Amino acid sequence: MSTQQKVWFVTGASKGLGLSLVKQLLNGGYKVAATTRNATDLTKAVGTNQNFLPLTVDLASEASVSDAIEKTVAKFGRIDVVVNNAGYGQIGGLEEVSDQEARANFEVNVFGSLNVIRMVLPHLREQRSGHIFNVSSIGGFTGMFPGFGVYCATKFAVQGFTESLSVEVKPFGIHATIVSPGYFRTNFLESDSLSVPKNQIEAYQAVRDSQTAHQNSINGNQPGDPEKGVAAIIKIAETENPPLHLFLGADAYAVAQQKVAAVSNELETWKELTTSTGF
Amino acid sequence: MNKQKVWYITGASKGFGLSLVKQLLNAGELVAATSRNTNELIAAVGNTSDNFLPLQVDLGSEDSVNSSIQSTIQKFNRIDVVINNAGYGIGGSIEELTDTETRGNFEVNVFGLLNVIRLVMPQLRAQKSGHIINIASIAGIAGGIGWSIYAATKFAVVGLTEVLALDVKEFGINVTVVAPGAFRTSFLTPESLIMAKDQIEDYTAIRESHNKFLKMDGHQSGDPEKAAEAIINITKLENPPLHLLLGSDAYNRAMDKLDLLEKEFLANEELSKSMAYQG
Repeated sequence: MSTQQKVWFVTGASKGLGLSLVKQLLNGGYKVAATTRNATDLTKAVGTNQNFLPLTVDLASEASVSDAIEKTVAKFGRIDVVVNNAGYGQIGGLEEVSDQEARANFEVNVFGSLNVIRMVLPHLREQRSGHIFNVSSIGGFTGMFPGFGVYCATKFAVQGFTESLSVEVKPFGIHATIVSPGYFRTNFLESDSLSVPKNQIEAYQAVRDSQTAHQNSINGNQPGDPEKGVAAIIKIAETENPPLHLFLGADAYAVAQQKVAAVSNELETWKELTTSTGF
Repeated sequence: MNKQKVWYITGASKGFGLSLVKQLLNAGELVAATSRNTNELIAAVGNTSDNFLPLQVDLGSEDSVNSSIQSTIQKFNRIDVVINNAGYGIGGSIEELTDTETRGNFEVNVFGLLNVIRLVMPQLRAQKSGHIINIASIAGIAGGIGWSIYAATKFAVVGLTEVLALDVKEFGINVTVVAPGAFRTSFLTPESLIMAKDQIEDYTAIRESHNKFLKMDGHQSGDPEKAAEAIINITKLENPPLHLLLGSDAYNRAMDKLDLLEKEFLANEELSKSMAYQG
């Protein structure tokens, strides 16, 4: 661990990976600004510490995000590592998930992270250093999760803009990493976290099967230990050449490899058609 | 062709959409096509036959989309192939593109497409057949410098399409995501491509990349007529591909991405796989 206390800015910190991350960071002597919709809950969960700045933030509001970032810089002088962790799951077939439900999922998982990145980059560019972690999901790398169409879309979007971001900010000495966790034993699949569509259509058997499996058999039995997940993020933040893509969990790793193999295979199968479209 | 198919195509007044509409009408197919402005669409297509139904649609509005789908069913009795083609590119870094510019791109490229899928599915499920083809981009598979938000929208399309394929398989509906490289359409002209209004001087690498990119206008290697032909061809197959790349440039960029992933898998394999609780 570096002797210099790094300053972290973590969103969605009141539960799940975000909460574990904040606790480990404070234990490790880092300075941590952490956002949630209700900072009172966050303070209750974390306790008080002079290295800790709990912030009530509406991520969808640029003004609210900007305010949180300015407070962080005012208190700690700089921001070294940003973790866009806030997000939630939405299940349902694309026909079932309403326009409003779909947009709400993008609001937090995509537009909220983009607000943070847009507002924090002036500081990181000025420092000519920094590391942005965007927490996606293995469902942002492969869509082999029936019923998670809108959620996967949000998490794929995170992968897309992070890939671009990494090359955009490289000249300024800023790193970007996509974190793709598999199943970790957090509250992600609990009923107060996973959003289900109001309008469920009986005919979607594959979707219902997936929904039931996630709510019942998978929830509580996830193989991943959140403490190990966040330790990996802290470790990667301390490396000189961090990866762009970081998969967390043997399940995520295996599924990602399967996806790459399947796409490779498909590319070869259709190569003739693909390459037949030039003038 | 043994039987006339009914096509529903968005963003039909230019680019791939227009090429598709013209080729399909020439082949005697029944085509409903949407545009923000039907006068432009009718002038561009130059076909007044009864096989053609031009529709003025605001894709961001569910009501508008629904009314166009109902008009199509009323006129042609069914819908066999849906092509979500409408979309535009937006250039700039995440920091430069405002929240409003960002959301504007998602409005058409993602939420418009979701509106079409949500509202056309009842018809396709009732028929127990259909083929939904979503036009993404190679930028939806590999993100590049200066196209962060566009990449995010197109990654989202790839993700939701992968899941949709699993969700609607039980209804006999096929799903394909098409990822074209550079084609000689109007995509790189100011009417299709928006650049960030607030440009930040620091981002010199993006400006250089954009200048090079824009100089490609009129010299893109891909022939849109051949792309339209390829898309029509896959609708005749019993087992169409889930991912179809178009263009050698797209193929090469996808292969480069897969190579990078293979390296990153190996570099962090041990860390990725060490997330489980101790037994």
